[in-house]
Amino acid sequence: MKLKHLKHTDILDFFAVDETTLLSIPMFSDSVQAGFPSPAEDHLDLDLNLNDYLVQNPSATFCVKAIGESMKDAGIKSGDIMIVDKSLEPKNRSIVLAVIDGEFTVKRVNVNNDELYLMPENSNFPPIKITEEMDFQVWGIVTYIIHKAV
Amino acid sequence: MIALVDCNNFYASCERVFNPKIDKKPVIVLSNNDGCVIARSNEAKTLGIKMGHPAFKLKNLIEEYNINVFSTNFALYGDLSKRVMNVMSTEVEKMEIYSIDEAFLDFTDYASKERGAAIREKVKKWTGIPVSVGIAQTKVLAKVAAHIAKKHTKAGVFMFDDENLIRRALNMFTVEDLWGVGTKIAQKLKAVGIHTALQFRECDSNWVNRNLSVNGVRLQKELFGEVCYPLELTRKRKQNICTARSFGSEIKKLSKLKEAIGSYANTCATKLRKEKSCCTTVSVFLSTNPFKPQAKQYNPYKVIQLNVPTNDSMEIVKFAIKGLESIYRNDCIYKKAGVIVGRTVPQGQTQLSLFDSLDRGKRKNINIAVDKVNSLMGKNKIHLAVEGNGRKWKLKQERLSPCYTTRFAEILEVRI
Repeated sequence: MKLKHLKHTDILDFFAVDETTLLSIPMFSDSVQAGFPSPAEDHLDLDLNLNDYLVQNPSATFCVKAIGESMKDAGIKSGDIMIVDKSLEPKNRSIVLAVIDGEFTVKRVNVNNDELYLMPENSNFPPIKITEEMDFQVWGIVTYIIHKAV
Repeated sequence: MIALVDCNNFYASCERVFNPKIDKKPVIVLSNNDGCVIARSNEAKTLGIKMGHPAFKLKNLIEEYNINVFSTNFALYGDLSKRVMNVMSTEVEKMEIYSIDEAFLDFTDYASKERGAAIREKVKKWTGIPVSVGIAQTKVLAKVAAHIAKKHTKAGVFMFDDENLIRRALNMFTVEDLWGVGTKIAQKLKAVGIHTALQFRECDSNWVNRNLSVNGVRLQKELFGEVCYPLELTRKRKQNICTARSFGSEIKKLSKLKEAIGSYANTCATKLRKEKSCCTTVSVFLSTNPFKPQAKQYNPYKVIQLNVPTNDSMEIVKFAIKGLESIYRNDCIYKKAGVIVGRTVPQGQTQLSLFDSLDRGKRKNINIAVDKVNSLMGKNKIHLAVEGNGRKWKLKQERLSPCYTTRFAEILEVRI
């Protein structure tokens, strides 16, 4: 993924994540060159596009970096980049980016007997029970986690 | 029917999307170089902070009320604007993006408050940006409706669906708040006793025609629900392109001004080429700091007429520097400078001059090559020597929020 410079006006510079960068389409035309055509030609497909895979809804998708260990057993390590989709509705067991009393956190939603919990995935952290008095809001749903190997 | 969707306190709302702590707290956004207030949250408005208020005069207020202050982050606002517009475009057949935070949507097929509310909901959920929706027969009325939606409704949606409602609303709407009515026109109207939008709608159209030109007549018709300004679905060619900045620190020396003017002129030329236009005038202006009345005030402006329309960087920079040299005085200290390229014509329709000595074909190829390199490698990778490398006149942005959405190095970090 790379940044695309969209537009420059008097006061504005527009950038967006370039959704086309990874999409290079191999073009083959057997009329151009004589000779034996490649047997692989019929099996050529578009190159893999990671944007398509990771981002279903570009307008509502944001990248967020996780700092901390509270979700390590869910595969979110400190420094990982989470793909967060704001357009999705939270379900039981969703991993959400939530705001509690003005602070961001990432936890797994757990609805139990009409009680709402935000569950860490690390035994060193306590579950958070969401109560009426809390200012609670789901910012978005974590859909993918990008983790650097090694 | 037309719906105007208007983002509420757009810049302040953008900052809040990534900073929920400042929800319901006063937020202001400052112009380039942290000069004056250009956006306010409702809470900041309640404190009496006005648009254009110079930041240095607000120091005490900012401390006393813990006001959250941000430098403009146009990369962020531009990205969120694009998202908001994209979300709306999935809901209607036709729309006109009117500004960074407003769009007119075509509701001809089906107009209802519920449709407006659904779009409002969706934009808020997908992007985090709150919007107001005004629905009416014309753009001018839709603007009024959106204003009412923002100020006087909880739902954030207002629709003009009957004549009585329109009359009642226009009766309470001051005439200077109408779309396209500036202070000058408002003064003219007030002088003859027209204070409300309703009074204006009902005044003699002959008088309007004589005194306010054709735009006044159109405005009046639009208030009656007759469409004079249809949705503009294609972008118009820009008549003028201006690049101007306030300096981070004030400049006295001609050599430094040359760098700044050279760079602004080159930016203008690049924009012209992007628009596939050529300009026929190049104007240069300078201004001293109006907030230092004890210093000498000097605000010169010079227009240079070109023989052959051009979008060539070297040529436009050359003329701009010439203009600068003709107005520069060494006994002043300058705060701001700018270049305006004007009277644009489409590239390829330019009138050639008999005495033109420039090899325009060669220049064109150079410009194409420079634009290509710069679009691949980053803005200003190749620039003219006159622009210098000092960058002293670059933006002062002390309270810039990160580019949460456009730079991986600056994406939102969350402690989990």
